[in-house]
Amino acid sequence: MFSHPQPDSRPGTQRLAIGPRQAARRQTLTQAFLLALLVLTGSAWANPSDTVAPNTADPAAALASSAPMPKEQGLLKEDSQDCMRCHWMENMAYRDRETGKIVNLSIDRDAYSHSVHSELACSDCHDRGFSHYPHRSSSADEALNCVDCHEGRQDDGAPNLIGLKHEYDKSVHVTEGVEAFSCFSCHNPHTFHPARAGESVVDVVAETNNTCLDCHTELLTPVPKGHEWLPRPQAHWGSVRCLDCHTPLEGRIPERPSHNVLAAEDSNRLCVECHSKGSALLSQLYNYRAEQAREQDGFFSQAIYNDAYIVGMTRNPWMDRIGLTVILLMILGVAAHGLGRYYIRRRQEDSK
Amino acid sequence: MSALYLYPVWLRLWHWLNALLFVTLLLTGVSMHFSLNWLIPFDLAVPVHNTCGVLLTVSWLVFLAGNLWGGNGKHYLINLRTLPRDLIAQTRYYLYGIFVGAPHPFHVSADHKLNALQTLSYVGVMYGLMPILILSGWAFLFSTSLPETLFGIGTVWIIAMVHLVVAWMLALFLVVHTYIITTGETPTTNLKAMVTGWHKEESGG
Repeated sequence: MFSHPQPDSRPGTQRLAIGPRQAARRQTLTQAFLLALLVLTGSAWANPSDTVAPNTADPAAALASSAPMPKEQGLLKEDSQDCMRCHWMENMAYRDRETGKIVNLSIDRDAYSHSVHSELACSDCHDRGFSHYPHRSSSADEALNCVDCHEGRQDDGAPNLIGLKHEYDKSVHVTEGVEAFSCFSCHNPHTFHPARAGESVVDVVAETNNTCLDCHTELLTPVPKGHEWLPRPQAHWGSVRCLDCHTPLEGRIPERPSHNVLAAEDSNRLCVECHSKGSALLSQLYNYRAEQAREQDGFFSQAIYNDAYIVGMTRNPWMDRIGLTVILLMILGVAAHGLGRYYIRRRQEDSK
Repeated sequence: MSALYLYPVWLRLWHWLNALLFVTLLLTGVSMHFSLNWLIPFDLAVPVHNTCGVLLTVSWLVFLAGNLWGGNGKHYLINLRTLPRDLIAQTRYYLYGIFVGAPHPFHVSADHKLNALQTLSYVGVMYGLMPILILSGWAFLFSTSLPETLFGIGTVWIIAMVHLVVAWMLALFLVVHTYIITTGETPTTNLKAMVTGWHKEESGG
C-alpha cells in the first residue's frame, strides 16, 4: 500500500513544500510593509524556508506566537528531510544477501522525535558515503560508537557512557563472545529513550524485558527454561525487570540498571534479596517503582495508589515468629482468663 | 441501678469508625505481609490499606481535636501520685479479685471513665504507638523523598521494621482491649455503653 496514511508525518512534508509559496503570496499583499520590515530585520524574510516550522500548520499556534521560530533540528533539518523522503516509509527495507535477513531501514518519525537523539540530524551521525543513491553497502559499515560519540559531545549534554562501558565489558554478552554484539543489539538509537515520566511501571518493565526477549526467544514459554525454580515466573516477569536479577547486587545505582548482565549461574536467586531484607536491590526496586508511579498521576495520589509494595518486603522471620507467638499467647491467656471467670461464676451461681 | 452518659455521639462515631479502619488495616496488612491472597487479593489490599491509612491519620487528628477542645482530654491525664497504687489494685483485681467476686477497685464516674490501667494503655496507644504507626506509614508512601540509607541500613527496611513492630503491638492491644471490655459488671456492660453512650450498672456506682 503506497498511500499508507501517515497523519503525523505526511502533512508535514506538504507543509514544507508549500511554505515558500505562502510566504510569497503574503509578500505581494504587504509589499510596502515588508520592504520596511526587510530593512529592519534583515534575514527573516530573506530566507523564507527558515520561517516554516512545524507549528505553522496550526493557525492558533502561529497567531499566538509571534516570536522567531526555533532553528530547525533533528529530522526537520533540511538535509534530514532529504533522507526522510525515503526513510519515512514503513516498508523501506531490503533482504541481506549474506544472512538472508530483512534489514529494516525505516525511521519512525514519531518514535525518533521522542527519543533522546531527537535533536540530532541524520548527518550528525551518518556523515559520509550517503550522497549517492542507492547508497553503497559500504556506507552502512561505518563504525558508529556510542561511548566515543557521547564522550566527544559531552559539552552538548550527552551523558558520559564510560561507566556503562566498564559494566558492559564484564557482561556475559561480551565475555562469552556473542557474535556481532554491540550497544545496538539492545538499543535502537533512533527510538531510545530512558523510562519516561508518566510511563506505567508495567509498560517500563515490559519494554525493558522485551529487549531481552527479542533475542532470548527460547524463554517465551509458560515455564521458561532455567526459571523452573522461580514461583509464578510470568507474574515476576510482568512486574520485575530481567536486569533486576541478572545484574550484580553490588554497586547498583537508582538511576539506571547495570549493564553488567550476568550469566544464568551467577544471577541472583535469593528470594529474600527482594522479598524481605533491606538490601540495595529492594531499595532500588521499591524507589524506582514508587517514583515512576508518582510521576504518572501526581505526587499525592500516587503515593497512596502506587503499586510499589513488594510481598514480604516488611518480613523478618524472627520478628514474625516473636509477633505471632506473643499474640497467640495473649489470645490463650485471655481465653483462659475468660474460662476461669465463667466457671467460677457458674460455681457461685450453683452454690447459691 | 445507676446510669451515666459517658460517651457523646461524636466520640462513639469516632470510636467505631476508628475501629473499622483499624481492623481493615490489620486485615489488609496481614494479607499483604504474609501474602495471603485468599484473605484479601493483593491488588485490592494495597490501595485499601493505603487509603485506610490516610483516613486513620484523619481519625487520629479528630481524636486529638476532641481531646484538646471537646473536653475528652481530661480522661487521659495520668495522676502520677496515685498511679502505682491504682495500677497494683487494678492488676490484682484482674489476676485475682475478679475470680473471687471482689468488688471492682475502680468506679466509673463522669470525671473518671478510665481506670489507671486503661489510662496508661490508652495514652501509650493513642499518643505513643499510633503516631509512630502513622508516621512510619507515611514514610512508606513517600520513601522516595527520604535518604537511601539511614545509619548504613536501607531506609525502607528501617521504616518497614518500625511499622511492623508497632503494628504487632497494636494488634496485641486490640486482643487485650476486646477482652478487657467484657470485665464490666456483665460481659456486655462496657460494649453497650460504647454503643448507646450510657454506662449502666445494676449495683450502682
